[in-house]
Amino acid sequence: MKQTLTAMAIALAALTAGQPSTAQAEGKLIVSSPQDPGSWDPIDTFLVNWASLATNVFEGLTYRGPDMKLVPGLATSWEVLDDGLRIRFSLREGVTFHNGEPFDAEAVKFTFDRLLGNEGAKGPQQANYSAIDSVEIIDAHTVDFHLSQPDAVLLTKLAGYGAMIVPPRYITEMGDDVFNIRPVGTGPFRMTSYEPKIGVKLEAFEDYWGGAPELSELEYRFITEPATALAELQSGGVDLVIPPTIPVGMIPTIEAADNLELVTTAGPTVTALRFDTSRGITADADVRKALIMAVDRETIVNTVLGGQASVIASFQGERSFGYDPEMKPLPYDPEAAKDLLKKAGVAPGASVEINTRGNDATFNEVAQAVAAYLSMVGVNATIKPYETNVLLNDIIPQGKTGEMFQQSWGGWTFDFDNTAYAMYHTGQKWNPYDSDPKLDEMLETQRPLADPAERERLLQEIAAYAADRALEMPLYNLNAIYAINKRVKNFEPAPDSRLKLNHVSVE
Amino acid sequence: MAAFLLKRLAQAVFVVMVVTLIVSVAVRMTGDPAMMIAQGATDITEADLERIREGLGLNEPFLSQYLATLSGLFTWDFGRSFLGGTPVSTLIGNALPATLLLAFTSLLVSIILSIPLGIRAAIRRGKWEDQLIRILSLVGLSFPNFWLATMLVLLFSITLQWLPPSGMNGIASFVMPAVTMGVILTATNVRLVRTAMLDVMQSQYIMVARAKGLSERTVLYKHALRNCAIPLITFLGLQFGGLLGGIVVVERVFNWPGMGSLAFDAVAGRDYPVLQSVIMILSTLIVLVNLLVDIAYGLIDPRIRTE
Repeated sequence: MKQTLTAMAIALAALTAGQPSTAQAEGKLIVSSPQDPGSWDPIDTFLVNWASLATNVFEGLTYRGPDMKLVPGLATSWEVLDDGLRIRFSLREGVTFHNGEPFDAEAVKFTFDRLLGNEGAKGPQQANYSAIDSVEIIDAHTVDFHLSQPDAVLLTKLAGYGAMIVPPRYITEMGDDVFNIRPVGTGPFRMTSYEPKIGVKLEAFEDYWGGAPELSELEYRFITEPATALAELQSGGVDLVIPPTIPVGMIPTIEAADNLELVTTAGPTVTALRFDTSRGITADADVRKALIMAVDRETIVNTVLGGQASVIASFQGERSFGYDPEMKPLPYDPEAAKDLLKKAGVAPGASVEINTRGNDATFNEVAQAVAAYLSMVGVNATIKPYETNVLLNDIIPQGKTGEMFQQSWGGWTFDFDNTAYAMYHTGQKWNPYDSDPKLDEMLETQRPLADPAERERLLQEIAAYAADRALEMPLYNLNAIYAINKRVKNFEPAPDSRLKLNHVSVE
Repeated sequence: MAAFLLKRLAQAVFVVMVVTLIVSVAVRMTGDPAMMIAQGATDITEADLERIREGLGLNEPFLSQYLATLSGLFTWDFGRSFLGGTPVSTLIGNALPATLLLAFTSLLVSIILSIPLGIRAAIRRGKWEDQLIRILSLVGLSFPNFWLATMLVLLFSITLQWLPPSGMNGIASFVMPAVTMGVILTATNVRLVRTAMLDVMQSQYIMVARAKGLSERTVLYKHALRNCAIPLITFLGLQFGGLLGGIVVVERVFNWPGMGSLAFDAVAGRDYPVLQSVIMILSTLIVLVNLLVDIAYGLIDPRIRTE
């Protein structure tokens, strides 16, 4: 009997050993990405999904990794001169593009001339670099950026998107159309094939200046549906699912699987319910404060969001430049809220409309919780969802919202200016209702400041001022949620999805 | 016959034009693609947006934009996707075969299953086999296809790990999408075959055939089946149209790189050229298949031509 059992065990072991635990070959990592950006040219896109892949192909003069610290990239050092109107970069030597073309001052000038010229005008990136007047070649490995005005966020911007350095000879010879689908950069991986809407294959660039990557192959598959991406992860078809794919509701499934792991970090996206400050009961700042205090945001985060977020006091997360750890959210205090409402003359049974993004299932649950809390202080909230793009491109910019509306926002620069200017400055697309000369002035004053400490202090003041006026109900800063197969080693989650996978390996 | 054909052809062209016109107008009412493209940009000004619109050709008069789309049908040049600038013809060139392949496979699955089952139900009319087949077909009709798809993935991809949960890569990847689409078609077709078969079986020529002493087998397959093939083929033609329309959900769930997925992304991204072209090609296909069915009818039954 014992022998039979042993024999069966051996046979079973042999059978299972014969079956690969996952579908991939050694040294290959497969990533599920929710969307095909359609073009790999850095000046064509703003999509996070572009950056999540292209960070492996392209590099900028500066680099910002998962720890969010700005470090040298293709530039080894830089000096800010002339009161912030000139920046001198020393370029890394001995770097080549994937096609063998050398990286030098010529390439840097070409990149920015292209971005700020006709080709860049067709895309969305040009507006982001409008502070750059011209790029001057000093010698083969030194360039000067001449600015029309100081731009405190420029060095950060140079670490991403439109500022990625592109190869002059390749683009001149092959044309933009070829470059769109067969991009060439200086990054650790080189693209070998691209099938629109299906996926991208990359291989290690052995001559990478930072040393050849651990992985020999890298593949990205475009999978839109979260459930499908999760099924692929569970069945071994992909190794890594990147944000924003995984909805909070799927977390228990991942946690329950033996071979899978959830890796999260505070992300760039913050969510708030903003107020129409121009009319209705929300025109009164005290009423707005009362509504904020009526909602237990901590409980919402812990229940509806499964703890994958943190409550915020201003419209920014903890990683944002301008974040003030001392600033605390208004407390949950329904009694005080009722008093405030009474003093403001808001009769029980008053109503507000909350507009949400229709396809954001998680937030619609949050909105329901908010409505329930509001009803406890006598305010009837109705939720009216819109199709996301209609809400973003029509309802909000044209000031057609209800008293409260969802605003999720997160710039990859992690600089509060990015949010605050767009949300609070008079006449901005995202600020259809409010106009506050003092706020406008504060926003304009901080922009050109060359001293980071002073600018940070001003940004914190702006946050406090906006909170004091209760311009929005700050809700939470959502985590960036990654799901990985445990065979992936050395994976470090990037808050902004910009994953450079050269140090990752697979078992 | 020529007049009949001409009339039908004119109707077909009219339908395609109306459909694309409605889609083109409707999609323009739902938001500005320039805003979509610039969504992540800080400090985007109206001048920047205008620049992007100019680049996309959105400043052209609507009519010339619409005519450019229509002419794509003849020149196979549908312009470029707003999202990244890939030529739409490339995207459709990849997606159309994927969708057609899936549609044909599903149709094939349903034919292979429904003909024997329908015949069986008809010749065992009222017996337990007939009851069972009818109940099963009712169950099949009641499944929402996204639910069925999810269950299949759960069982065959996650639990058993036999089939890939998504993508179009080898024969194995066809099984679940084709079965998902095929089940509902089969359920409908089984009932159709059964009814048609019962009709035919009661006709005089079958009685004559039986009276001549032919074997039941010959009666069934040589005389009955041939005659009920006519309504079945007509119906399959019509089903094909419905199949193309209903493919979006299945393509989404299985991440199938076809026209449905393309249309879905295009709607989400306000990608006018892609959306218009996808709808135009699908509606042209559906109209063409219907036209073929009509012609076939006209050929088979001269009465239809003169009506």
